[in-house]
Amino acid sequence: MASRALDERRAQFQRYKEDVKERGKPFYPYAMFHDTVMSLVVVSVIVGLAVIWKFTVPGDHTSTKPGLLGPLYTDKADPGTTNFVPRPDWYFYFLFYLLRIFKWPESVILGTVGIPTILLMIMLALPFLDLRRERRLLRRPVAIVAAILTVLSMGVLTYKGATAKEALASEVVQAVPTWAKREGFSGNPQAVAGAKLFAQSGCTACHTYLGTGSSNLGAPDLTAIGKGNQGAQFFSSYVSNPRQFGNKVMPVFGNLGSQQNIHNIGVFLSVSKGPK
Amino acid sequence: MPRSRKSARRQRMEAAINYPIEWLEERSGLIGGVRYFLFRKVPSDTNWMQTLGSATLTAFIVQAVTGAILAMYYKPDPNSAYQSIQHITNDVWLGWLVRGMHRWGASVFIILMFFHMARVFLFGAYKYPRELNWIVGVLLLALGMLEGFTGYLLPWDQTAYWATVVGININGTAPFLGPFLAQFLRGGAEIGPDTLARFYSIHMLLIPGALIGLIGLHLYLVVRLGVTSPPWSKEAAGAERVEKPKRGRRGLLMPGARGGIPR
Repeated sequence: MASRALDERRAQFQRYKEDVKERGKPFYPYAMFHDTVMSLVVVSVIVGLAVIWKFTVPGDHTSTKPGLLGPLYTDKADPGTTNFVPRPDWYFYFLFYLLRIFKWPESVILGTVGIPTILLMIMLALPFLDLRRERRLLRRPVAIVAAILTVLSMGVLTYKGATAKEALASEVVQAVPTWAKREGFSGNPQAVAGAKLFAQSGCTACHTYLGTGSSNLGAPDLTAIGKGNQGAQFFSSYVSNPRQFGNKVMPVFGNLGSQQNIHNIGVFLSVSKGPK
Repeated sequence: MPRSRKSARRQRMEAAINYPIEWLEERSGLIGGVRYFLFRKVPSDTNWMQTLGSATLTAFIVQAVTGAILAMYYKPDPNSAYQSIQHITNDVWLGWLVRGMHRWGASVFIILMFFHMARVFLFGAYKYPRELNWIVGVLLLALGMLEGFTGYLLPWDQTAYWATVVGININGTAPFLGPFLAQFLRGGAEIGPDTLARFYSIHMLLIPGALIGLIGLHLYLVVRLGVTSPPWSKEAAGAERVEKPKRGRRGLLMPGARGGIPR
């Protein structure tokens, strides 16, 4: 059976070669003409994008302000700052958004490694999963459905990743009094100071707190993180070195200015036991 | 026209022009190779969708050329990388164009790879005997995206830095290999000078080398196995030939021409 299928495939390829020899046209100039036109279009588009990128930047086109296609560069990398937006180039948005769907820590590995690896495996194995000779789309229902689902999900994830709003530090800080009231730590100056630092340091780029911030990279909601009564010391050391606790995604926030700051964050997190 | 009609002078000139070509052909066979490549037959029904592969190659060549120029000005060191990028963008003559083409060429390259792959999928062109070329293509896509990841750090601005911090940390979550991979990418415990030099080397030597090799193999297989006809084409190369039905029986017992036969 298998060998008969193989014979048929071989016969078909033999026929293909004969057909091309008899009825085909030479690559040059026919196909090459199309290829050349298309290549010129590609180069023009690339040049066009470069021009728009540079010359829509306001002013003398040298600042860090964004033009139509985004900034020429942002500020110089500073490992000391903590107010960052962890955002890849657009073609990784679908992966990036996948990580919002899976929450730390139980299933995040599915988003980070599982699904991309499985997709790559399926793509590599495709010619061996689909052994039929049929090439006409209407007679390949599984292939059509798979293609539509893939394009749709990649498109939706890319769009969601592109439009995902990052919390602005200045806006988040204004929510701190509300947090203090709802979580009942208004009377604790260390916790309030910690909450301010939390709001300003970019924590809400990945974590949510009472609905503020965006859930990224599988980072958990911290509204009720202190419910387990681990104490301020635990959170301070966690924030300074997440890796020590097996968390390899969260960056090290050992540089929050001072030991006092790290302690305040720890206090803030330990008293966050959910809204009262 | 018989050759003898040509003047002796013209014959000598033709010989002089042909000499280098013949010299090269005799010693390398390259001329024959190029001639085979250019004048090989392709199915007569190939269409515009089948230019996406060569368009991707063009985008890759743009990346290679602009990348080589950028490397003449770029300094892969955390103290000077950012300044060198600003220098390229604002001071070097047409530097903004070269950097802009590299920056946006990357996106175009990735989009074209996906479009090309979609075309191959829709045409069922990954089927026998072109399985291996599909696999090479998937590897090219993966390597192309790795180029995007490693290139993103090089401007050494905030976006670059923090995207890479998180990207490396995500790599680190992989079971077994993850921590080693993250350690290898960082070149240490933290992202620093070693990371930047490492990404630069991976971005402009390691992966491009692999890409060029695989592209060569990809093209070799395309030329060797030929280009597929669009599956809907009436005269698709390789489609089974249907014997012309005898007059009286058409429409009674014979199925519609080619109706149930795979192409």
